[in-house]
Amino acid sequence: MPEEINKSVDTRSSAASGPALVHDDTTAKWFLISSIAYFFIVGIIAVTIAAKFVWPSLLGTVQYLTYGRLRPLHVNGMLFGWLLAADMGLSFFMVPRLCAVKLWSEKLGVATAILWNAIILGAVVSLLMGWNQGLEYAELPMPLDIAVVVAWIMFGVNIFMTIASRKYDQMYVSIWYIMGTILWTAFVYLTGNFAVLFATGTNQANLNWMYVHNAVGLIFTPVGLAIAYYFIPKASNTPLYSHKLSMIGFWSLAFVYVWTGAHHMLHGPISQWLQTISIAFSVMLLIPVWAVVYNFFATMKGQWHQLKDNVPLKFLMSGVVFYLLTCFQGPMHSLRTVNAIVSKTDWIPGHAHMAVLGAFSFFAIAGCYHMIPRAFKTTIFSEALANWSFWFLMFGGLGFFVTLWLGGFWQGWQWNNPSIPFIDTVIALKPVWIVRFFSGILMFLGIVSFGYNIMATILGAKDRPAAA
Amino acid sequence: MQDYVYPSIYFSYSLFALLAGGALYFFVKSLKHGYLGKDSEEPKYRMLHDDEQPEVRK
Repeated sequence: MPEEINKSVDTRSSAASGPALVHDDTTAKWFLISSIAYFFIVGIIAVTIAAKFVWPSLLGTVQYLTYGRLRPLHVNGMLFGWLLAADMGLSFFMVPRLCAVKLWSEKLGVATAILWNAIILGAVVSLLMGWNQGLEYAELPMPLDIAVVVAWIMFGVNIFMTIASRKYDQMYVSIWYIMGTILWTAFVYLTGNFAVLFATGTNQANLNWMYVHNAVGLIFTPVGLAIAYYFIPKASNTPLYSHKLSMIGFWSLAFVYVWTGAHHMLHGPISQWLQTISIAFSVMLLIPVWAVVYNFFATMKGQWHQLKDNVPLKFLMSGVVFYLLTCFQGPMHSLRTVNAIVSKTDWIPGHAHMAVLGAFSFFAIAGCYHMIPRAFKTTIFSEALANWSFWFLMFGGLGFFVTLWLGGFWQGWQWNNPSIPFIDTVIALKPVWIVRFFSGILMFLGIVSFGYNIMATILGAKDRPAAA
Repeated sequence: MQDYVYPSIYFSYSLFALLAGGALYFFVKSLKHGYLGKDSEEPKYRMLHDDEQPEVRK
């Protein structure tokens, strides 16, 4: 294996000439710093919501702090303020390097970052004021929806123009995933935020669920995997097990994912053929998932010892395990018998949090830990604090996921028993929500230690220059 | 009120068809470019050194 690496380096260095390429990374820095700030702010809101489950009268009747205002802010803040912004920042870091050229336009990139921040701040104001379209994940009012589309076009143009000017014909798999993300997001976002407004009743619910599920499956999954495919080999200094297998994973995801959203509406008033299609495609999802996960596990063969003192790798490989668990749960949840128990229960937020926090946020955090010191030409402020952030998020996350899965099953069984009054099923879940609250505190401590570590790394960059 | 149910469904599914068609087109194109051929493993070695890449003047 090392011989092949050297061969590749020799080929590269003999083929190239001219001055060394220095990446600016201004856009990536803008996106990452702002996204980590939102991660912290929205983390406070998340803990507040978890507390409201246990103490519903918390914060009284102040309209801006009611559950109905804070929950959409938490969802949109975490999805668009933290995770998607971090993923975009990491894309701006990865793509120029993988293409061996500079970013097409740093100015356009910075303008995109400014617009994105304006959107997030607008979302904070509008959602707290209660200006809400009332559709899950698509709560943002129309002007902000349009601004998101404009920002996404700016992002897409910059990335595609960079890829168009690449030095090598053959693109690494991360570039394929990022290109897929840009195109699929356009499709999913337009459907979920614009087309859905013209539909009514069941059709509207169907379109909305297509959007909600594909927001995770065709936005965060591909860009998250792009990050994992880039940073796992980088952090472990080990080549990917199989690029060919990674391409099979990519194309199977491209063909399979889009039809799965309706599995959230099984036993509802949608047509049986659509339910059956969503089940079939959900089960088929095991193909791309296993292709991806096997590739990562095989990459780490003989390298697992590196996890002992390599924090980014800890986050990455834990994220891979969470990704595998999430994507095993998804197909199982789509089966009619299982769905009859867990659908609409607290099992769903347990599952969704494992995808968005356990898998994709772990990938993004690992990317930040790897990228920030390199972008600022320094070393990480504290390895120990980074390690603490991992364990806080890991135990907080596990506490959250596991109790909600069990609580969700318990809730579902109670709902299936018509002799139990509904309010009793709410009261019964209080112990689960107490564990959820304390798990949330642990997760928030993880966010604080991660955010502080990154901030201290950036502010002290001049005091700790990286070794040349 | 005008009923937009079917136009919205046609819009969404035509978008889906467009993307499925696009995916099929680019998949075939990627096969022709050798992404599943004998040279398909080269990018994974190259990416390990992408921070050391010299710039090539176009």
